[in-house]
Order: sequence, then C-alpha cells, then structure tokens
Amino acid sequence: MTLEIVLVVAGALFSIGLFGVLARRNIIAVIMSLELMFNGVLVAAIGFSRFTAPAALMGADGGITETAIRSALTGHMLAVFVISIAAAETALALALVFAFYRAKQSVEITDAADMKN
Amino acid sequence: MSGDFDSGPIATLAFFLASALTIASAIIVVTQRDLVRAVVALAMSFVGVAAIYFILNAEFIGVAQVLVYVGAISILIAFAVMFIGDLANAGTLSQSRMLSAIAGVLLFAAIIFVAYNTDWTEIDEVTDPDAIAGLTGRYELTDASGNTDLIRSVDRNVEDSRGGAFVDSSSHIGPSLISDFILPFETLGLLLIAALIGALLVIRNRQEDDA
Repeated sequence: MTLEIVLVVAGALFSIGLFGVLARRNIIAVIMSLELMFNGVLVAAIGFSRFTAPAALMGADGGITETAIRSALTGHMLAVFVISIAAAETALALALVFAFYRAKQSVEITDAADMKN
Repeated sequence: MSGDFDSGPIATLAFFLASALTIASAIIVVTQRDLVRAVVALAMSFVGVAAIYFILNAEFIGVAQVLVYVGAISILIAFAVMFIGDLANAGTLSQSRMLSAIAGVLLFAAIIFVAYNTDWTEIDEVTDPDAIAGLTGRYELTDASGNTDLIRSVDRNVEDSRGGAFVDSSSHIGPSLISDFILPFETLGLLLIAALIGALLVIRNRQEDDA
C-alpha cells in the first residue's frame, strides 16, 4: 500500500463522480455524483496525511512536539470541515430540488436552463 | 496491535477490498437507471470509503464518515428520491455522455500520470538521526503530566518509513479544533445555521403562506 495507490483510488472516485455530474440528467443523480467527487478529494487528503506526515512530525529540530502532531493532522482537519460543509450543501441542494420540482414538475437538469419565474 | 496491522499485508489486502467495493459501487451510482438502487449503491460506496479511512489510520474521520455520509446524507437523498415520485426518465443519460466519459477517462489518466511521476519521497525524506531512530523504533512523547504513551510504537525499517502517521488522531483533533482551527470552526457553525435556515426558506410554500 503506497501513496500512489491511494491517489489512484481517489482519482478513480473523483473521475467517476465527474462523469456522473456531466452525463446524468436527473438533478438528484447529479447531487449523488457530486458526493462521490467530495469523497474522492477526502481520500486523497487522508492519504497525504497518512503517507507524508512523518516529515511534518519531525518538526524543525527533529523532536516530536504537540504542535508537530497537530500539523501532521491537517489533512484530517480538512476532512472534518469538508464533511460538515458537504452535509450543509446537500441539505440546501435538496431543498432547491424540491422548490424546482414544485415550480416545474420536473427534476431534469435541462429544464433548469431558463431562470424565468 | 494496530502497529502490526497497518504495516502488514493484511492492511494492503483490506485496502484493495475496500477500494474495489468503493469503486464498483460508485460505477453503479452513475450508471444505474433506478434511482433508489443508485442511492443504496451510494451508501455502499460511502461505507467503502469509511473502511479506507480506518485502514489509513484516520479513525475519527472514518466514524464521522459513517455517521454523516452513510447515516445522514444517504438517508436525505433517499427521502428526496422517494418524495419526488416522477422518476420516468430518471435513468437517462444526457446526449453528451460520450464527451462526459472522455472527460472522466482523461482526468483519471492525468491523475495516474501525476501520482506516479511526482517524487513524493522528496517530501518526507528523513535525514535527522533522531528522526530515523524514531521511524525504526518507537515514538514516545512526554507531556507535562509525565504521560509517555501518546504515539503508537511501530516496528518498521527505514525503507518502509514512508508509511506512517502513527498518531492517535482522535485525541488530537479536538484540541486542534479549539486552538489552531478555532476561526474556521466558528465560521462553520455560522455556515451550518445559515444553510439550514436557507433550506427552510427555499422549501417554504409561498402560495400556502399567502392564502
């Protein structure tokens, strides 16, 4: 298990999500693909945190300090924040889908082309 | 125990199994015509990603992934799918599906190229003798109260030293949140409440309110 393999898995998730976002016509399916892309980014962040952290752990003088441990966990912090923001974003996006469905009786993304009403 | 686990072949096998589950489920998500099945596949994909987090020593993120993504976001999307009953054309792909596939494959190829052509060892090259001793043996951290067991001890040789944030992540994320990341943390609280109020405003039925 190396950093490269983790990055390939993350890239695969992100690319599959990108395909879904571009190719799907149903808005809910597009949101699902968007979540896949989020997860791909997070896997990459955690992978970097796992495999490049020893250098950060060493600190400037070679000793392991509390500050150095915290800086090694920056990838984890990014994941915490992205997960929270993704939850808020999904709630808001689904509310928009409901409002759109109520206005147009449709959840097809091509029907969202005109912003009238 | 965990030190033995994360350097052995079992971890690699588990990683490949979790990755296979994740990617297979992700492909089902983007191709399945039945949206309910797509949601179930999405939940499976999230579970696979959580397993990857656990294998990569990110226990806290793994638990958060299960709670937030599997427990909340999947359920939210499932509710949306079931509320909006009009699913006649749910599975159809847009006319630009070939272009989309080409874009995805090109991006994936570019990511593989960058992943294997960047010299990642440059980042974590360790020259300090104390650091090498730490990587080959056990880490100990003595804090003010004399507690010396904050970091895991890991048996590994220097060649294998690239793998290893052996930090007990769960006990350090909390202090980070209220020290280094206090401003983003508070802003996040503001964002969450704004998003939820915004969602309620957007979904409000104006005709019923006026009547």
